Amino acid sequence: MNAYIRPTNLAEATKLRAKAGSKILCGGTDFYPALGTAQPQGTIIDLTRIAGLDGISVGPQEIRIGACTSWTKLIASPLPPAFDALKAAGREVGSIQIQNRATIGGNLCNASPAADGVPPLLALEAEVELASAEAMRRLALSDFILGNRRTALKSDEILTAIIVPQQRARGRASSTFAKLGARHYLVISIAMVAVNLVRGDDGSVADAKIAVGACSAVAQRLRALEADLLGKPVAAELGRSAEARHLADLSPIDDVRATGTYRRDAALLLVRRVIGECAKGASA
Amino acid sequence: MSKPLKIKLHVNGVARELVIEPRVTLLDALREHLNLTGSKKGCDQGQCGACTVHVDGERVLACLTLAAQVEGREITTVEGLTPDGAELHPVQAAFLKHDAFQCGYCTPGQIMSAVACIREGHASSDAEIREYMSGNLCRCGAYPHIVAAVREAREALS
Repeated sequence: MNAYIRPTNLAEATKLRAKAGSKILCGGTDFYPALGTAQPQGTIIDLTRIAGLDGISVGPQEIRIGACTSWTKLIASPLPPAFDALKAAGREVGSIQIQNRATIGGNLCNASPAADGVPPLLALEAEVELASAEAMRRLALSDFILGNRRTALKSDEILTAIIVPQQRARGRASSTFAKLGARHYLVISIAMVAVNLVRGDDGSVADAKIAVGACSAVAQRLRALEADLLGKPVAAELGRSAEARHLADLSPIDDVRATGTYRRDAALLLVRRVIGECAKGASA
Repeated sequence: MSKPLKIKLHVNGVARELVIEPRVTLLDALREHLNLTGSKKGCDQGQCGACTVHVDGERVLACLTLAAQVEGREITTVEGLTPDGAELHPVQAAFLKHDAFQCGYCTPGQIMSAVACIREGHASSDAEIREYMSGNLCRCGAYPHIVAAVREAREALS
């Protein structure tokens, strides 16, 4: 680490970021673990003292989550029911000690295939806001995370916020998350699923968004399954609509946590179960 | 090696000045620079909870926090739970009464986590205590006694 700098506003931070060799630090919970035994290099820009990057605002068109918002703060925030999966995912990000420091923005920028925040945010069709000294741009989350630990963040950019559009489909929203690990708490996902449903006034599926994580380099939406659910009655049996073919695009790997074959089986079961739970939530 | 930073940390109500490299974690700053060895280094990678301290009242892992990041924040370690010479904190007393440890290495972290857990309102049932204390591992397996101690301390503090 050549230098540690703690800017107090975004303009100052983006100016520092424009110089080569900087790294962003916020909650810091993955800073040392990701380095392993290597020494930190370059200039570290600490974002934690920049006002406006921390906190959530709910507007008529969209909900804005500051990149430096901690999981604890997100979980405690009053948000529409469509955010229940994201909150549930947050409760499974490490321990409370981690949730108090770790940020939503960090979870996305780390781009771990097992990042708990990604499937719920994909199911919310979230966008990210990226700032450089020159410009501000927005990108769909699905275009931001490019691969295992790879994102579209340029070396002079800072992720400043996650933007979620307000629900467009008319009806009652429900949102559910489930994560499979080798034990209940403090665990990295073998597979995880986020489902957002909207139950129309006629009791059928008006909108469905389903995302699976830890079963491919980047968490994926199951768009074919989403299309197949539309118009079906919202009931506990809805989960049975999911079939193996709907998960064909996943590419689960063998690793220390599970085999690819097991992941694929488990993901299908989880998808069915979470759709069923979510349907119950939408009709309760 | 990078240029040393001069920082001021507020630890257990006292302002302490230290000169450190920016890469120094809060845990190393406490243990190696301020001689506060109550916070333990277990895994040093955020998995065990032995280094749990409070920053502005919130429990965090000192091994994952850079000391420079918490300049100006109020840091509380197990040494500062009660004023000098005072009686034990109710959580400490409950850990003693219920024999909520064996080797004791995880205990300062368990106690700091338990104090925050009770303050957060996350100790209303044994199941809730287990979930919200899950960031503190005890390899001796004293968990049933830890849950009993947290339950009693919660009653004592309410």
